Amino acid sequence: MSLQREPLIVAFVCNWCAYAGADLAGVSRMQYPPNVRLIRLMCSGRVNEGFILKAFEQGASGVLVSG
Amino acid sequence: MKITDEQIAYCMECGVCTGSCPVARHYEEFSPRSIIKQLLIDREDVVTRDRIIWRCVTCARCSIRCPALIDIPQIVNRCRSEARKAGYYPEPSHHGVFHIIPRLQLRDFLQDRVGWASQWRVRRQGEYFYFVGCAPYFSSMFRYLQIRPLNISRAILTLLNAVGIEPVVSNREVCCGHDALWTGEEETFVKLAQKNVEAIRRSGAEVVIFSCPEGYITFKHHYTEALGKLPFQVIYASEFFMERIDLLKRLLSRDGEELERVTYHDPCRLGRLEGIYDSPRILLDAVPGVERMEMERSRENALCCGTSAWIECSSCSKSIQFDRLEEASDTMALDGSEEGGILITSCPKCYIHLNCARAALPEDRVAKKLQIEDIYVFLARHVTEIQDK
Repeated sequence: MSLQREPLIVAFVCNWCAYAGADLAGVSRMQYPPNVRLIRLMCSGRVNEGFILKAFEQGASGVLVSG
Repeated sequence: MKITDEQIAYCMECGVCTGSCPVARHYEEFSPRSIIKQLLIDREDVVTRDRIIWRCVTCARCSIRCPALIDIPQIVNRCRSEARKAGYYPEPSHHGVFHIIPRLQLRDFLQDRVGWASQWRVRRQGEYFYFVGCAPYFSSMFRYLQIRPLNISRAILTLLNAVGIEPVVSNREVCCGHDALWTGEEETFVKLAQKNVEAIRRSGAEVVIFSCPEGYITFKHHYTEALGKLPFQVIYASEFFMERIDLLKRLLSRDGEELERVTYHDPCRLGRLEGIYDSPRILLDAVPGVERMEMERSRENALCCGTSAWIECSSCSKSIQFDRLEEASDTMALDGSEEGGILITSCPKCYIHLNCARAALPEDRVAKKLQIEDIYVFLARHVTEIQDK
């Protein structure tokens, strides 16, 4: 399975902008790779160093913070 | 491993441990004596399930005064490992970053952790190995306090180069495992220990120098317990420089006439757990123009810096730290009118904790003007200016 070789990206996204953007992409039926896992937050200011390292610890290859 | 130790049976219930405990002063419900009592009546389950077990700062002020010589920090340590097995965890400070980093270091990737050392004469192979420890991580984590714990490592390299030694610094080095050990993560600790010993063995080093007391005692005692005799010697930096004090004295100088007033804070790991009290003081006295004062609670009576192993930082920790800062500023008779008076410590964690507490002090407090400096940074400042970047 080529999919398993894809890097797993964890994205922390802000409810009010990045998540809305991703949502709009979904509504517009645009495709995005399934190996990005979105985690919605009320504000990207909620993200701290612990979140990012925890994502790496649990197997993420990359972390995206967007907001 | 069963927690109840034969040694505990010697407890005579004198209560000196609780009376000496800095945490017990702030948390009525915390008492080393009652922990021992619970263990004596075979109630490990009560102890391990209680949050209390994580509140101990393992500063060993109790055990050093215990007439029955009960090693209370070790007992607490064992209870923690049982607690973790039973699914009870501590509250991590700094979002758990310092507990995740060591676990990430166990994976097979090479860190870039010696880039900062390029301005000094260092080697890949050689007789001396300098164990940098967590300083690079601390430096990026504690920018908000405007401190650079990595300057301690820079200072060590300055001093080592000054006495003609080019140490090995390695990208293969990982966390010493002190915090994993003291928060009950034995498995992580052993793996980290194996990685470090292998990295040092590959560098061909015979002597490993430490600037962090935690790393030093972890290698000296806990690595030996876990892995047997180490294929190298370990030495704490202040002891190492003591052996070369005549050379160092010739290099130490002072610009201007002004005296510097300093007081030395004994870190618990170096002092009570290892018995190194004199060499840092002798090194400080070797600097010209230093007026060194002794705090009332010093040497084996020194007060802890408030928290350990990056867990359970609380109002209790802050109270202990404020207490220590005020003691230092009183000792040096500061009146708050001018800058001056340096509180010197030799542990990067004491350095961070005391700086954090000072930042939290109200502006009108005298101790706010206190300077906090690491002993090696202080020494290196008088050998040559180290660059802050």
